[in-house]
Amino acid sequence: MNDLRLRRARRPLPSRPLLLGCVATLALVLGACGGSSSDKKVAAGGFASGLPTDGQKRGGTLKLLGSEGFFHLDPGGSYFQLDYMVTYATQRPLYYFKPDDPKTAVPDLADGPPQVSADNKTVTVKIKSGIRYGTNKKTAITGKEVTAADVKYAFERGLNPSVANGYEGVYFPLVGADKAKGGPISGITTPDAHTIVFKLTKPFGATTARALVMPLTVPVPKSYVAPLDAKQPNPYDAQPERQAFTGPYMISDYKAGKTITLVRNPQWDPKTDFKPAYLDRIEWTIDADPNVAGRQIFSGTGLANADTPTAGAVKRFATRAKDRITFTPLGNRFVGVNTQRKPFSDINVRKAFAAALDRRAMLLARGGPLVGQLATHFLPPTIPGYDEAGGAKGTGADYLANPSGDPAVAAKYMKLAGFPSGKANGEKVVMLGENDSPAKETAQITRDAIASLGFDVSFRLLDQSTLYSKFCGVRTELEKIDVCGFAGWLPDFSDPYAMLTANFYGKSITAVNNSNASLFDDPAVNAAMDKAALIADAGDRAKAWGAIDRRLVDKVAAVPFLFDNVANIASKNVQGVVGQWIASWDLAYTSLK
Amino acid sequence: MARYILRRIGWTVVLLALVSAVTFVIFYALPSADPAVLRAGRQASPELVAQIRARLGLDDPLVVQYWTYMKDVVLHFDFGFSYQSGESVRAAIVSRLPATISMTVGALVIWLATALPIGVISAIRRRSLLDRVTMTGALLAISAPVYWLALVALYLFASDIGVIPIFDGANTYVGITQDPVQWFASLLLPWLVLAAGFSAFYARLLRANLVEVMGEDYIRTARAKGLPERRVVWRHGVRAAITPIVTVLGLDIGVLLGGSILTESVFNIPGVGRYAYDAIRTADLPAIQGTVLFAAFFIVVANLVVDIAYAFLDPRVRYG
Repeated sequence: MNDLRLRRARRPLPSRPLLLGCVATLALVLGACGGSSSDKKVAAGGFASGLPTDGQKRGGTLKLLGSEGFFHLDPGGSYFQLDYMVTYATQRPLYYFKPDDPKTAVPDLADGPPQVSADNKTVTVKIKSGIRYGTNKKTAITGKEVTAADVKYAFERGLNPSVANGYEGVYFPLVGADKAKGGPISGITTPDAHTIVFKLTKPFGATTARALVMPLTVPVPKSYVAPLDAKQPNPYDAQPERQAFTGPYMISDYKAGKTITLVRNPQWDPKTDFKPAYLDRIEWTIDADPNVAGRQIFSGTGLANADTPTAGAVKRFATRAKDRITFTPLGNRFVGVNTQRKPFSDINVRKAFAAALDRRAMLLARGGPLVGQLATHFLPPTIPGYDEAGGAKGTGADYLANPSGDPAVAAKYMKLAGFPSGKANGEKVVMLGENDSPAKETAQITRDAIASLGFDVSFRLLDQSTLYSKFCGVRTELEKIDVCGFAGWLPDFSDPYAMLTANFYGKSITAVNNSNASLFDDPAVNAAMDKAALIADAGDRAKAWGAIDRRLVDKVAAVPFLFDNVANIASKNVQGVVGQWIASWDLAYTSLK
Repeated sequence: MARYILRRIGWTVVLLALVSAVTFVIFYALPSADPAVLRAGRQASPELVAQIRARLGLDDPLVVQYWTYMKDVVLHFDFGFSYQSGESVRAAIVSRLPATISMTVGALVIWLATALPIGVISAIRRRSLLDRVTMTGALLAISAPVYWLALVALYLFASDIGVIPIFDGANTYVGITQDPVQWFASLLLPWLVLAAGFSAFYARLLRANLVEVMGEDYIRTARAKGLPERRVVWRHGVRAAITPIVTVLGLDIGVLLGGSILTESVFNIPGVGRYAYDAIRTADLPAIQGTVLFAAFFIVVANLVVDIAYAFLDPRVRYG
């Protein structure tokens, strides 16, 4: 999934409400982290767990209220939280994270786990029989069985500019993909109708296998979709009701920026699927005012939020309707500083900055005690490697020891950086930030921390989209800036590779669309990441990435300050089930009471 | 008159071309988001971003991009498609116009129906209790931000979240052809909210104008001639006092037809204003251009209508 920066570009909402994550020491949301089955409905603290429960009711209509629209509903382009909510309810990817287990993907369209070859360069997947396409209007594809060739075409069209998948090249280094622009990829073969083989250019199978949960793996029937892919704009995206659906629901009606309606897919066979699909119908209103929507959900029936509720709504639910609000950990936030330009190219200055930064104030600026867990490293609680990196306690670095900032430690590192007084001499630091709350307030806290080190901060605030697409994401611009906005990352899937490489891998520094906000390029870290990406064993993988996370903290690749938690709210007769891996309602599991 | 109208229509076309050019230049000259990057997502490779740029025509020189755009607008009435949703901008605006027109017309009826009598009575009965009460109320209504007013109205009167649930609330709008009764019910509260500020402003404006006009010599002459007071006020007073209001009214109608962003947002009425707001937020240039052109069109047309209306309202005005 895309990072917080762009995601939040689509959700310029008040501070994202957070709560402490799945941290044993804090023991606040044990239910959400896998509490006992007897009290599955309730998490510690009295909040709803968001987990599936026994005896959920079948039938009814759920109404979702959201302020944001969708980016892409074509499974080939789907890459945002809201897109995912619809895509995973209406389509079947090869693998799926059940809502209560964000770490273990289970076969969905696939018929068993992926087979990774010994040399780690081939991944083979068998797919189930008897899965059929449903469509709104009867076409030649209606009722036709899904084959491996359809998954193959899904990957091929991902490289077609009219689909423009955003991550195929990152997780699927397929042989022949560099020459494909929507046509055949030599690295994908289908020996029979129910087997697909991915041949990779490098021994990357362990990571590729984990990425098979992504919407790109949703089957797309070539005979039906290829003519649409030739059009601009692509109707498979712009008119998603024309899609061939494999999931329990299908999009019956879509009015961009207004509404989307999901109904049951008559071709979906529950015998082939583990998803319960309780609801008969889902009506989603787009562009609802978030303040009003929060109140409507609170007072009404059959309603739930589609995107981030306002701080006011969270407060109301958290105090007056605890059993109707859930908190789910997801993603991280950090301050990236330019590690290739003075003064932050000096690791001691970076350590001094980390020590000076009042991370507790930043937490408060984002919403106070309800907003989450102070981060001391980069892998969040739901991602393997979190515990290995130090868990909630952190790595023990003295410059992150005091969340309110420690001037003495800051001065120590400034002296080590060659400033005998412990302060800089008014050297200029260029900083850009976002002009929306709460990013604006956290930017001001950051500016104050840098100024407290004796630097003269040139500070400018811009709107979020502009900031990232014109400055922080453009290497030539970023090279002239010392601190560019705030970064954060939501994992595309529950794996440390998906969490850390985009932000801290040297090769992720790109001319445009750069996601490495610190321009951090450390050969040792790069090599460790390359090596860790090859590890198949879950335990060893978590250890290796946990060690990398520690190393990133040691090198102060950035200054982590928050592990986000996401709130979801529902009306009293809604049994909301949250897909823990994306922290949004899993519509195939949510029901009415 | 015909020549005048033709000349104004000619200038309208020139003005719209200028507006579109200025929007285009502003979008590129000032820092704004790169549509190709937004389209591609943050993990996309630079090569993919480049392909999208080429496909969207963003690599062409600005002049070429502008020329292509205007050619499609003029020859095919085609405003391109949204970078965001892939939807035709023309279709999007046309599908949203009924909601915006519904909002504007309903609010207009309410604000004129309240502002005119209040303004006239306040002017005629200056310093009376009624004058003081209505003008104080008007001041409050003008001062209240429409977003705040809309939220308060919902929290007080909406059937789902209101303390006194007497009006349909947010997210209840349906098109007039779909269900006229529900259409009316869903718009009643938005109309009142939107009309409140305008009504107050117009009432104060009319009052001020009328007070001034009623002190003119020709009013005294009319009274001296023995004309009934009602005729003096309405035929001689209001007719003169209302001319500046017609000017403002024309502009306001034009602006509202371009979209009333805040009211549409709070009540979730899928109008042009909300579409424009979303387009700006997502750097969706074709949608921005389309909505700006539509808004500009309504404003210049409204101005034209106002200028023509002048001729009928004020006998001294004649167009050659």
